[in-house]
Amino acid sequence: MLKADRWIGFLFALFSLYVCVESVRLGLGTYQQPGAGFVPFCAGVILGVLSLALIFSARFRRTNNAERWHNPERILMVFLAMLGFTLLLEWLGFILTAFLLIGLLLKVVERRGWGFSVGVALVVAGASYVVFDVWLSAQLPAGILGS
Amino acid sequence: MDALEGLLYGFSLALTLKNLAFVFAGVLLGTLVGVLPGIGPAAAISLLLPSTFHADPISSMIMLCGLYYGTMYGGSTTSILANIPGEAASIVTCFDGYQMARQGRAGPALGIAAFGSFFAGTIAVVGLMLLAPTLASVALKFGSPEYFSLMVMSMTLVTYLSQGSILKALMMAALGLILSTIGLDPVTSSLRFTYDVLVLRDGLGIVPAVMGLFGVSEVLLNVGAIMNREILQSKIKNLFPNRKDWKDSSMPIVRGSLLGFILGIIPGLGTIIPTFLSYGLEKRLSKHPEKFGTGAIEGVAAPESCNNAAATANFVPMLSLGIPANPIMAILLGALTIYGLQPGPLLITEHSDLFWGVIASMYVANVMLLILNLPLIPLWVQILKVPYAILYPLILLFCLIGSYSLNNNVGDVIIMCVFGAAGFLMRKFQYEPAPLVLALVLGPMMEDNLRQALLISGGSIATFFTRPLSAAFLLVSVASLLLPLLKMRPTARFRQQEE
Repeated sequence: MLKADRWIGFLFALFSLYVCVESVRLGLGTYQQPGAGFVPFCAGVILGVLSLALIFSARFRRTNNAERWHNPERILMVFLAMLGFTLLLEWLGFILTAFLLIGLLLKVVERRGWGFSVGVALVVAGASYVVFDVWLSAQLPAGILGS
Repeated sequence: MDALEGLLYGFSLALTLKNLAFVFAGVLLGTLVGVLPGIGPAAAISLLLPSTFHADPISSMIMLCGLYYGTMYGGSTTSILANIPGEAASIVTCFDGYQMARQGRAGPALGIAAFGSFFAGTIAVVGLMLLAPTLASVALKFGSPEYFSLMVMSMTLVTYLSQGSILKALMMAALGLILSTIGLDPVTSSLRFTYDVLVLRDGLGIVPAVMGLFGVSEVLLNVGAIMNREILQSKIKNLFPNRKDWKDSSMPIVRGSLLGFILGIIPGLGTIIPTFLSYGLEKRLSKHPEKFGTGAIEGVAAPESCNNAAATANFVPMLSLGIPANPIMAILLGALTIYGLQPGPLLITEHSDLFWGVIASMYVANVMLLILNLPLIPLWVQILKVPYAILYPLILLFCLIGSYSLNNNVGDVIIMCVFGAAGFLMRKFQYEPAPLVLALVLGPMMEDNLRQALLISGGSIATFFTRPLSAAFLLVSVASLLLPLLKMRPTARFRQQEE
């Protein structure tokens, strides 16, 4: 954790430097009339100082609890499935994308049988379309099914 | 409008068939969300928010508020029956609730949790009804410096009371402030940190950010963890506690309710910390402190009453000052803005129908929850048996639908995904999301008040220190930053207890 803290502190320090530079470019204004960059500059300075404090404190702390990562491949697959849903939503439409998302999560991530995965995906995609689009008028994209 | 007149007016709104249906939907969904681990009230309210855009603001707020305290009721069921808190404020209930269930006393544990919650909820609504208008009238005298300092105080209190490293909590607050400046600057009309991305022009959406930080990240964490859910199979009987149970629980319920209400008013305290405090207080006052953790009914009664009272008290700063006490209040505040209402001290007088309608609906919701909860426990047990492998794809899908339907824009979904991944990493590396969300919500208001105060004072920073109320708020802020250096943090003890 301490090693991670040093790296995270370093990344935040870089980020805060970037924010400060951008804020100066936006214009700090004066105390009488603060500009668009005034608040982000102040927040950037605070974040920078705190990041340096984190790096500093991580150097002098002794305990080191190693962070354990369980099932990283499952987490990554779920996240990628969400991203895939986002990218395909408007093109394929809600029903198809929802079907693919649920089916993929059940079949690939959870290793359920084909019949179960396809069945649940069909029911969930259909039911959520009826609830959100038809009943709650959420205007979900129709995609290629609509054309 | 005095309190009685206002309340009668509120009941005339809350008891219409339409609003009763909204309360019912809210509390039922809330209980379901509370029962299900892996989805909390913040994600659920965000999810439901877009569907309320077609309804009128009063009905929508009634439903969303009902959902919030429904989760407080529902959370206890999972804690008692499965030893998994359905939502964070029910962590403490696991300590004795699950032990009671293992001893065949799940019924009285669930019963006392429901009755305690009802009592606390009702008492807290009375407190909210009396206190919020008074506080709002005091707040009308606030100028920009007072508002700015009050928001600084809220943010520092959140970091002070955070359960992890205060340094990391402060970093998250600073990051939230930076992120809150994304979008069009209202004074100079220049674009800040938008990089020609259209969805960022109006600022970073609070709702997709919260859904990502609390909903998606929770799912990712649970997917990575090995979920070992053991639900007690025995038939639940005797939901009504016996005479001894009542004798043991009555004072803890009263103390838990009062403590929860008082602590819940303080911006930043939320509902989790008061429950730990309440449990600690009961253990200290008990003649048999050794029984705590082995199935003492007081250990269920006090924290369950406390979390319900705190949940209602959280509405006091939100409705009277326009300052959210926790991320859930931040979403509700965002909802008010989306409905075209201006949160702040004028809300109660200018939109008395909303205020009194919501207050009256809280009384109705408490009664509904008490009537609904106990008979529906067998149903919740069945729902709890649904494997998480089937549950989480549904939660994810609902989050994706919710974020898309905010503006029918994929950009919001991307924001949610990014914040979901960020929230997951934050929790892994022990950075708390609450200070970030509060800063994200309070940021624009803080900036507005800071700039106004500086403009009016001719650029004198002294204006924040020379006005007594503003100086007092800043003094509390400084104290909350300095106290951790002296190792005086209440949450340090809770961390040990939780471990």
